[in-house]
Amino acid sequence: MLVLVSVTLITFDERSGTHHITSGLKSVAHDVFSPLTSGVNDILRPIGDFFAGSVNYGSLQSENQQLQATIGRLRLQLNQTAALREQVRELDSLEHLPYLGSLPIVTAQMTQFDLSNFDADITLDKGRSSGVLVGMPVVGAGGLVGQVVQASHGTAIVQLITDSRSSVGVSFGPNNQTYATATGQGPGNPLSVQYIPAQTHLHKGEFMYTNGLADGEFPPNIPVGRLHSFKATVGSGAMTVTMTPVADLDELAYVDVVQWEPKL
Amino acid sequence: MRGKEAPRALLVLLVVLVLQLTVVLDIRIGGAHPDLILGLAIAAGLAGGTERGAIVGFLSGLALDLFLTTPFGLSALVGTGVGVAAGQLVAAGVDRTNWLFVPGVAALGSAIGVIMFAVLGAVLGQPDTLTVGLGAAVGVVTVVNGVLGYLLVRACNWAFGQERSGSAWQGPLVAGDRH
Repeated sequence: MLVLVSVTLITFDERSGTHHITSGLKSVAHDVFSPLTSGVNDILRPIGDFFAGSVNYGSLQSENQQLQATIGRLRLQLNQTAALREQVRELDSLEHLPYLGSLPIVTAQMTQFDLSNFDADITLDKGRSSGVLVGMPVVGAGGLVGQVVQASHGTAIVQLITDSRSSVGVSFGPNNQTYATATGQGPGNPLSVQYIPAQTHLHKGEFMYTNGLADGEFPPNIPVGRLHSFKATVGSGAMTVTMTPVADLDELAYVDVVQWEPKL
Repeated sequence: MRGKEAPRALLVLLVVLVLQLTVVLDIRIGGAHPDLILGLAIAAGLAGGTERGAIVGFLSGLALDLFLTTPFGLSALVGTGVGVAAGQLVAAGVDRTNWLFVPGVAALGSAIGVIMFAVLGAVLGQPDTLTVGLGAAVGVVTVVNGVLGYLLVRACNWAFGQERSGSAWQGPLVAGDRH
């Protein structure tokens, strides 16, 4: 009987017509449990951090120094590119193109990650009450992180670009004129880039950006990843290409939710 | 379930769920974390028999499903399956006097549960569940639930009002056997 109920629930959930019922239930559950889990984390995490910190004090000090150096380098780059960004913004406004820097954002803190062993997702401490809605892109750590797939009143779940259900339209090459689709292959794995013609000239380390297509699911020109490997497949018209995310998805703490809704 | 069993079982479920969503998520080995919800379903089957195993497995899985992006009902289906299987094992009269019985069943049941989740996930459109991280997930969940097996069974014994009858897994009957 319970097996039958479970199978029925799965079937209903897979059907888009009834999906909003389970979404509503999930939203309520998140709103109810969020203060509880947050409270437990607030109590228990400092204890764990204390022991972890006492054991790894030396390496933490070294890591802190490296981070300070990185911040210095980034500040320098930021100062150097401020003028360039202003030029790009002006050009984009002339062309009426959306530009990430011109879109409103909501900064959120990551509270949980990979709730299941088979998902690549994170939970944020901001939800609908802060303007975070399903479908909005999430950026952080230098590139695209993922997309909001569930939003409750006070929390949101973001599906990372490495999740196997994630698919992002990308562009690359001279003038970003080559289009492809990047699909996740599970947590910790490079993304698979599909539909690249066999004769395409590729460079390892090349940046790939969101292309703004697919009903504008993502704003264009957000860095997604860097080309990791490529090879021509014998007898196939397409190449086998992988890329690694620009954003370090294992070290996320704060991210920006871009208040951009797909034009569906 | 009757009398004070239901509120006690719900309390145990709530505590395990909160632990699963907080402390347990911070424990990562090879990218995988333990799954106490699966362990609870097995423990409920061992302590309470088939019926209680199925109910606790279903409800705990359903509660976890509320927080996952995987298809709603998938964890409930797996929880029901392992809860029933653990209960059947007890009902079949397997020798429970060996101290390895509980950890062994908890570990084996967990491995089966994780693989079942991965296979069903793949069938429902998440193909990488069968390849990426499956080994680590099976290993971590198996070991942790094996180690915590006695603790979870004890919690279920308390929930089912069997705390005074000694070790349920060593006794001639578990609550579910009486029906």
